[in-house]
Amino acid sequence: MNRRDTLKLIGATTIAAAMPGGLAAFADTEKSMTVVVKIAGIPWFNALEQGIKKASKDFSINANMIGPANVDPAQQVKLLEDLIAKKVDCIGLVPLDNNVTAPVLKRAQAAGIKVITHEGPDQDGRDWNIDLIDSKKFGEVQMQRLAKDMNEEGEYVVYVGTLTTPLHNQWADAAIAYQKEHYPKMKLVTDRFPGADEIDTSYRTTLDVIKAYPNLKGILGFGSNGPIGAGNAVREKRLQKKIVVVGTVLPSQAKQLILDDIVREGFLWNPTDAGYAMVALGKLVLDGTEIKDGMDIPGVGKATVDAANKRIKVDKIMRINKETLDGLIAQGL
Amino acid sequence: MREGLQRFTRTHEFWLLIVLIVIGAGLTAADSSFFTLQNLFDLLTSYAFYGILAAGLLVVLISGGIDISFTATASVAQYVALTVAIQYGATWFTLFLMAALIGIACGAVNALFIRTLRIPSIIVSIATLNIFYGLLVFVTSGRYIYQLPDWFAHGIFWFEFEDANQISYGINLQILCLACAFLLTWILLNRTNIGRQIYALGGNPDAAQRLGFHVFGLNVLVYCYMGFMAGIASLVQAQLAQSVAPTVLVGKELDVVAAVVLGGASLTGGVGTVFGTILGLALLAIIQNGLILLGVSSYWSPLFVGLVILVAVSTTAWSQNRKHRRMVAA
Repeated sequence: MNRRDTLKLIGATTIAAAMPGGLAAFADTEKSMTVVVKIAGIPWFNALEQGIKKASKDFSINANMIGPANVDPAQQVKLLEDLIAKKVDCIGLVPLDNNVTAPVLKRAQAAGIKVITHEGPDQDGRDWNIDLIDSKKFGEVQMQRLAKDMNEEGEYVVYVGTLTTPLHNQWADAAIAYQKEHYPKMKLVTDRFPGADEIDTSYRTTLDVIKAYPNLKGILGFGSNGPIGAGNAVREKRLQKKIVVVGTVLPSQAKQLILDDIVREGFLWNPTDAGYAMVALGKLVLDGTEIKDGMDIPGVGKATVDAANKRIKVDKIMRINKETLDGLIAQGL
Repeated sequence: MREGLQRFTRTHEFWLLIVLIVIGAGLTAADSSFFTLQNLFDLLTSYAFYGILAAGLLVVLISGGIDISFTATASVAQYVALTVAIQYGATWFTLFLMAALIGIACGAVNALFIRTLRIPSIIVSIATLNIFYGLLVFVTSGRYIYQLPDWFAHGIFWFEFEDANQISYGINLQILCLACAFLLTWILLNRTNIGRQIYALGGNPDAAQRLGFHVFGLNVLVYCYMGFMAGIASLVQAQLAQSVAPTVLVGKELDVVAAVVLGGASLTGGVGTVFGTILGLALLAIIQNGLILLGVSSYWSPLFVGLVILVAVSTTAWSQNRKHRRMVAA
């Protein structure tokens, strides 16, 4: 043992001895959290990463974001396994497929790692799921908006990302159920269409739908490119007076369509807030704070907590229209 | 003339055409909006991107190779060309020139690795797909471009006319490029010496080399041609989507491969025609289109698409087998 090693040893012993209570405080600043998202390098998750970075500073927790190069749940599993091996304190996950990621998350929990999910209300193997919207309400609000511009009557269609994307289909279910209950004169003319994650596919689908259902008055698009593709088709056919387009969009992408009154209003939650909320919640859980209904999550707001199902909701639906558009784009959305 | 017709009835294309006519007739009977000028223009516009890529891929397949990196090539071409156009300004000519040159450069990279190191083309193009795409996503952080130059966003619209419902038609950028791509490919394959050499190369590469064909040059040509088409297709797609998104094109390779192979091109090389490719693409387009027009639930549509492909391929395979037996008997 040379002198340097001896010094190190003495130093370490001194520090450890000096702080039986201080050890927790020391470890506190070193807590680490990594959030695994659906895919790296798309605008949505770039915005989410901004929120993670901000919360990382605000709560002095070492938080970062990683994601697979393709939308592939198996790659998420691999990233999660790496995190278990690295012994992070908290894992955040935006799941692609609940079933695929459940076993690895359970292993993480067994290793003492806290698990926070977002967009995963049915994910097994988590401590809490936090969403900035209530799926049911999110679907209903958009149906109300569609109904308003359709004068509560006429034919409409619904687009989703894929027929198995959990959230899109929950929104669609809620919207359609709400229409059946409140707007009896409106009619969903056919089953929901997939493809709303791609502009070309929703454009093509819309051209076909316009021909197949000449009385069509409304398109509700869940999946951020659905209303864009639909809007492009409606613009090309000059049908904006007749067909109402409403749905989930990114503000900067939908700008022109909203200004031209083709997409009447867009709905979303703020991805930056979502990233921030995951880290804020992770911090609370790591600190052992009790999570209870009506509590205030720092920097996020008042939360509705469903302790039995381990679900936390903060109502933050973002409305994208001519008034809010510029402010949201200035935020980089 | 009659002999030509008889020969035609024994080809793959003939049977594909029959399947197409049967489906088309069925759709026309079932839904009045299928066989309309509007639907034809819509289909041509929305499938132009696939069609242009299919024309390029056909040439590669005939030469005995395969390329699946073209979607990444297209993503790079449209992103770079339009970024430059937004920053420094461009005209239709310079914009297309830029996209085409980027495409050709990417194609040349493929050809270089495939020919000089004799690596199987599928492996090289899987690698370059990931390299081109990875670089693009890394450099751009996946940022979308929404604010396209006005002249590009408006596109072109020739010979415009309106129907009774005030819906206008015209030759747009998509249809124009699609027609040019198929015409150019047809000329290359059927009216030039090089075209015959590409067929020969795909049919029997050893023989082609011994005959003194410039095999390296031919390979560079076909992969660059593919890249050229990817560059053109990328702008057609960007104009239609009114935006550039680096992540949306990659993943569509197999749709294009399916259309070309369905059209009778052989994965082992030497076989394939432009007409067949058009039919293969038309078949895929019409099934998707028809299913929506008929109001078939989206939950069922993948099943029907699969069935129609299987029927089409079975019909042509059956006719080929019969022809083969007849030749053996004779």
